[in-house]
Amino acid sequence: MLEEYERFTDPGTIKELELLAKDLKGVRVLHVNSTKEGGGVAEILHRLVPLMNELGIECHWEVIRGDEEFFRVTKKLHNLLHMPGGKTLEPSDVVTYMRYTFENAAHIDTDPYDIVFVHDPQPLGLIVKKKKGQRWVWRCHIDVSSPEEEAWKFVETFVNSYDATVFHIPEFVREGVKVPTFIIPPSIDPLHEKNVELEEEFVRSVVERFGIDPERPIILQVSRFDRLKDPFGVIEAYRIVRKRIDCQLVLAGSFASDDPEGEEVYSEVLKAKGEDPDIHVLNLPPDSHIEINALQRGADVVVQKSVREGFGLTVSEAMWKGKPVVGSNIGGIRRQIINGVTGYLVNSTEGTAFRIKQLLLDEDLKRRLGRNAKERVRRSFLITRHLKDYLILIHSLLKGL
Amino acid sequence: MPEFRFRSELWTAQYTGIKASTLGTFLKALREVDDDTIYYHLYRNLFEYHFLPTDYWNSFSYWFAENGFPVLAEKFLALDLMECVCIPDIREEMVRIVEREGHSFDKLCKPFYFIRAVRRIVDLGEVARDIKELKEGVRKVGVHSLFYHLVTSRLVHRSPINDFSRWLLEVGEERKAEEINRLDLMSTDLYQVKEKLIEILES
Repeated sequence: MLEEYERFTDPGTIKELELLAKDLKGVRVLHVNSTKEGGGVAEILHRLVPLMNELGIECHWEVIRGDEEFFRVTKKLHNLLHMPGGKTLEPSDVVTYMRYTFENAAHIDTDPYDIVFVHDPQPLGLIVKKKKGQRWVWRCHIDVSSPEEEAWKFVETFVNSYDATVFHIPEFVREGVKVPTFIIPPSIDPLHEKNVELEEEFVRSVVERFGIDPERPIILQVSRFDRLKDPFGVIEAYRIVRKRIDCQLVLAGSFASDDPEGEEVYSEVLKAKGEDPDIHVLNLPPDSHIEINALQRGADVVVQKSVREGFGLTVSEAMWKGKPVVGSNIGGIRRQIINGVTGYLVNSTEGTAFRIKQLLLDEDLKRRLGRNAKERVRRSFLITRHLKDYLILIHSLLKGL
Repeated sequence: MPEFRFRSELWTAQYTGIKASTLGTFLKALREVDDDTIYYHLYRNLFEYHFLPTDYWNSFSYWFAENGFPVLAEKFLALDLMECVCIPDIREEMVRIVEREGHSFDKLCKPFYFIRAVRRIVDLGEVARDIKELKEGVRKVGVHSLFYHLVTSRLVHRSPINDFSRWLLEVGEERKAEEINRLDLMSTDLYQVKEKLIEILES
């Protein structure tokens, strides 16, 4: 499988990965997270685990179990860590969390492994199983820079028992983290349905299938229907652009059936769209990877106007397709976009509209920034880079930091 | 003929836990952080951004520019890593620049996060015994390897001469050695450097 990545990377990259892994042959690594399907973590692990095995590392992946009540608590914890506000953790929530932690500790065998990677807060408590000589790493995929304090304190008690933590960017690291912290941004897989090359004709057919005119400029934002993604700001920016340029806006995303807020936001977005036939609000099933891929390839400018982001990998996905992205000047987005080089970083709705217009009116600029964007992702946000980071991290943990 | 062994350098990033929110605290940290942290912000960033026309290739300059210190941004941008043979020297130079040109040391800025590079050097198993094999090796290896032999090996050997030129000198190819050592790696991207290297070795 590794050699399939050869065409996307610099010559020598695959050999370098093999050499890095040479000293790690036979090392046993376990990844634990909360789901096999859906979400960025599972998507990365589906590819990363077999790649590690191919490199001679004995790598396995386990998923924790829980009922509705447990996942209600972990969702609450996730939200509190991501953003303050809302109801704090109740003692009964802590009891639920710990009960399922011990149940999972009983059925997940972590003992045979040299390194255990625990992803996100849901399985965090499994650290109680750590054995002497093992190295445990907490891989945090969310922005915990300004959490609800009580929720963070709860998490911190576990975090500092790990041997190391990994965050996407240093801005996300809380001061209470006392163990070695690595900064490893997430990545995209160029072989995933979401990112593979598509025929132009196919792209056109998908765009047309959604009633979008492929002959007129398309502005696209891909995100779930969530206020934090600011779909209303995107519509406002589009309306400013529309005063000068005949264009269309596509808001493509989804909301889970058990996400009442998503449904509410979706309805509000439809209301904000009003009677405008050039705004296309697409609520797609979560596995619409190929459709999202085609929409990104069919778009002229991609927008990511989030108010807050874990990292915002949709930015890299669009950049990989040679699209300049106009993105909010926040967190992970500012790590991906180099302002004026691979796209634009913006701080307001007016600024978003201005940059979109600039790109729509200047084909050369659009092409140049798009080319740089693709190169930026090729060098910094592909799964092969992610794998390299993990290999060096494992090496450091086993041979001494 | 002596052997030339191709190596490559790879790294990941570790947060030092040190962040600066004023020029004063930045200067203090600049004096105190370890060499691998300076390496990360200068060398690793040069590698990371060499292929893009960025305004500021290193994160120190970028931070200065973002926080209203244009002179410092420019002076740090102009630091020539090809003339540096040890991190303490370049650190001293940077400290001198900030002490001389800095102002508003207490002004609140966006935080700067000091990151250290966790480095690994691997032997690629590629060996050259003559110029033809050296050229073939250069063609085969990736830009990480070129970066190591042309840039960071100067730190390893504490020498202003890169690995390729040192080997070429040993085998009596002074002209080629000199031409390679003159390549401007601060303003050329490594893909162009690779082409240029092959051209020099072929000439």
